[in-house]
Amino acid sequence: MDIIEILNGIFRQVFDDDTLVVSRATTANDIEEWDSLTHINLAVAVEMKFKIKFALGELQTLKNVGDMVDLINNKIARQ
Amino acid sequence: MEDKVTRDNQFNIGHICTRQQCDAGLGEKVAMRWLSPTMERTDYTFGDLERGSNRFANVLTGLGFAPGEIFFTFLPKAPEQFFAFLGTLKSRVVCGTLFANFGEDALLDRLGDSGARGVITKKHFLKKIDRIRDRLPNLKYIILVDSDEHLDNGVLSYSRLMAEAADVFDVPLTGPETPSVLHYTSGSTGKPKGVLHHHRSVIAQNHTSRQVLSLKADDIFWCTADQGWVTGTSYGIIGPWSLGVTQVHYGGGYSAEEWFTLLEHEQVTVWYSAPTALRMLMRESDDLYRRFDLSRLRQISSVGEPLNPEVIHWARRVINKDIYDTWFQTETGAIMICNRPGIEIRPGSMGKPIAGIEPAILADDGTRVSDTNQGNLCLKAGWPSMFATYLNNDSAYNSKFRNGFYYTGDTAFRDSDGFYWFMGRSDDVINTAGHLLSPFEVESALLEIPEISESGVIGAPDDLLFEKVIAFISLHEGQTWSMELELKIRLYISNKVSSIATPQEIRVLERIPKNKSGKIMRRVLKATYLGTDVGDISTLEED
Repeated sequence: MDIIEILNGIFRQVFDDDTLVVSRATTANDIEEWDSLTHINLAVAVEMKFKIKFALGELQTLKNVGDMVDLINNKIARQ
Repeated sequence: MEDKVTRDNQFNIGHICTRQQCDAGLGEKVAMRWLSPTMERTDYTFGDLERGSNRFANVLTGLGFAPGEIFFTFLPKAPEQFFAFLGTLKSRVVCGTLFANFGEDALLDRLGDSGARGVITKKHFLKKIDRIRDRLPNLKYIILVDSDEHLDNGVLSYSRLMAEAADVFDVPLTGPETPSVLHYTSGSTGKPKGVLHHHRSVIAQNHTSRQVLSLKADDIFWCTADQGWVTGTSYGIIGPWSLGVTQVHYGGGYSAEEWFTLLEHEQVTVWYSAPTALRMLMRESDDLYRRFDLSRLRQISSVGEPLNPEVIHWARRVINKDIYDTWFQTETGAIMICNRPGIEIRPGSMGKPIAGIEPAILADDGTRVSDTNQGNLCLKAGWPSMFATYLNNDSAYNSKFRNGFYYTGDTAFRDSDGFYWFMGRSDDVINTAGHLLSPFEVESALLEIPEISESGVIGAPDDLLFEKVIAFISLHEGQTWSMELELKIRLYISNKVSSIATPQEIRVLERIPKNKSGKIMRRVLKATYLGTDVGDISTLEED
């Protein structure tokens, strides 16, 4: 399963929506409940699933899900 | 406070914001510049607002809504929000507004208590309502802004209803004491309370839009508040449109780059935002702001929680502007105490009361406290936008008034020059990012999680949010703390209550401190968290 598929499951869990489908182009503006506070929930869920840690402020620079995928890939590669 | 807005005893807010502006010759003037999340622009004139809100008033009338019944909007930022809000008021139905990130528990509390008969929302949010609909016997109609067809069970298409409705509506003469807007607000005990306003509030909202926000006919105004909260209705709808002022509304979320692009491109002249957003802007590089020409921006005001002096100093240094902090509450309906042009800004101060408002700093026994000493911030009752009641809760309403003064729940002091300074809350209500949150609401939701046996929730100081939500929990025997449980708790609160209620920290205790009557001793939790003296614990329940 590639990262975007795993992320899709995480997004569904975090935003309590079984119909949600994310792509690399998905941004916070595409998901009604995605605000700065649910963003933290997302970070916790992603950290737990991929066993990685985000640095303070690292997630604020992400523009879309694609950026998140790349960041996760980089972190996994560095492990 | 002088009434400069109503004509011929017509106090109807919907009428004043639309028909009255058209009658004044502003029918072709842009009332709302709508910017989608991708910055696509759509302009709506006051004539468009008039016709659209008339259609919505006809929709509700056609569905059998009677004056005084309650209808809610449950939408993210969207143009339909404004047509629905104004149309509902035109039909003299009470319009409540709900924050789009509310979860089903929060919705149930509000829709259930109010006995709401209808709600306008999006398909995406329908699942939240569906989960609780069997407990909402009065909820007859759900109008969907993004469905082309009527569905079953009273779920109707906004576009179809609006297409079939006439665009003229005779707004009945509406007296000042007619119920208008309903916002739910949190207390430290019990469920959220429905703060009901009357149409007379428009006098104060109009007055303060002129006198505090300094709005003039040719201004372009942007209020970043969500319509789910009082600022979003009092100043994101009523005040500016009662003056015929053009407003920008943006459907996207926070982004420093996009916000400043909007300020520059739309030539915003007056901007009303919140300290949390301003503090987020402060975290960006100063270089970002040098790229923008904000020469048209004449005034920035702020509301929600106290504006710390650092933000004022930042704005002066980086964007060469002052920021005027303002203070009001859901219950006050309009700005009461504020900084504004013409009065010296004392960074960190609430400023001075507006004309016609008489604050007092009172001790618990009702006696006046001398200048520079802290006490209860109170307002002499009777201002035009004073709330009319807490819906279905007269005793809570009456408890807020003593000897002709409204007790705000805030503590403050007045200095010798007449400036007011916010000190804190006299109860346990948490102010996080400008939203008041009941610890009881979060504690109750935490107890719904099977692993948790006890819970206690407090607010703790936070550099960004003003206060953050801290949850203390005890686990049932046999349960153990884990990251999985932490995530489960965070998601449960976020999705059932609201994202703003999500605990920023969760601490596990053997037992939650309670007094001998079983009341959670949040004061002890707070002192424990902050590492300060816990004070008198003689009433603490013993093992």
